[in-house]
Amino acid sequence: MKRNTFYIILGLVILLEVGIFWWAVEIKNALLAPAAFILGVAAIYLARGMVEEIIDDERTRLITQQASLRTFQVFWVVFFAVNLGMAVIALGPPGFPRPSQQPPPPADGLRPFHLVGLYAIIQLVLLGLMILLYVGFRIYYARKYGDWDSDEE
Amino acid sequence: MKNKVKVYRAIHDLTQEQLADALGVTRQTILAIEKGKYDPSLELAFRIARHFRVSIEEVFLWEEPLEVP
Repeated sequence: MKRNTFYIILGLVILLEVGIFWWAVEIKNALLAPAAFILGVAAIYLARGMVEEIIDDERTRLITQQASLRTFQVFWVVFFAVNLGMAVIALGPPGFPRPSQQPPPPADGLRPFHLVGLYAIIQLVLLGLMILLYVGFRIYYARKYGDWDSDEE
Repeated sequence: MKNKVKVYRAIHDLTQEQLADALGVTRQTILAIEKGKYDPSLELAFRIARHFRVSIEEVFLWEEPLEVP
C-alpha cells in the first residue's frame, strides 16, 4: 500500500467515526461510539502496517518522543489544575456553586447535560487540548529536525 | 557535528532516495543529516560509513564547541 493511500484511509476512518458518533447520539446507543472508535484505531494500525514505503525511522521516532514528552509535561499540569478545581467544588460546603442539581431546561429547547455527561464533555475538552498540544509540539520538533526541508534533489 | 554524507553520496552517484532505501530510513532523514539538522545515532552513522566503505571519522566530524571567555 502506498503512503498516500494510507492517508486517504485515515481520513475516511475519521469521517466515519464522526458520523457514527452522531448516529449513536440519534439512536441513543452509548456502546456504539466507543466500540467504533476502538475498531477504527485498530483499522488504522492495521493499515499503517501495510504501508510498503519506509515511514518510520530513528528521526521520526525522536520527533514523536520529544513531542510526547513535552505534551505530557504540559498536559499533566493542566489536567491536575482542572481536577483540583473540580475536587474543590465537589468537597465544598453546602451553597458552594456546583452542578449537583439538574439545571432548569434551557429556553431554546436544548437538553441539559446530566452530571456524567458534563464530566464526559470536560474530559473530551481536555483530550482535545492534549491533541492540540501534541500537534503543536510535533510541528515544532518536525521543523527542528528537518521534516519539511527540501533541496535541489 | 559536521558530515560529508552529501559529498560521499555524490561520489557514489546516489540519490537521497537510493541511499535512504539502502539504509532503511526515510529520504527526509538523509536530507536532515546532510543539512546538519539531525545527528544520526551511532548505529546509523556506522551504517552510513560502512555503506560508503570508509571509516566513520571520514564521514562525520566532531568539532569541539568554542569556549567563550
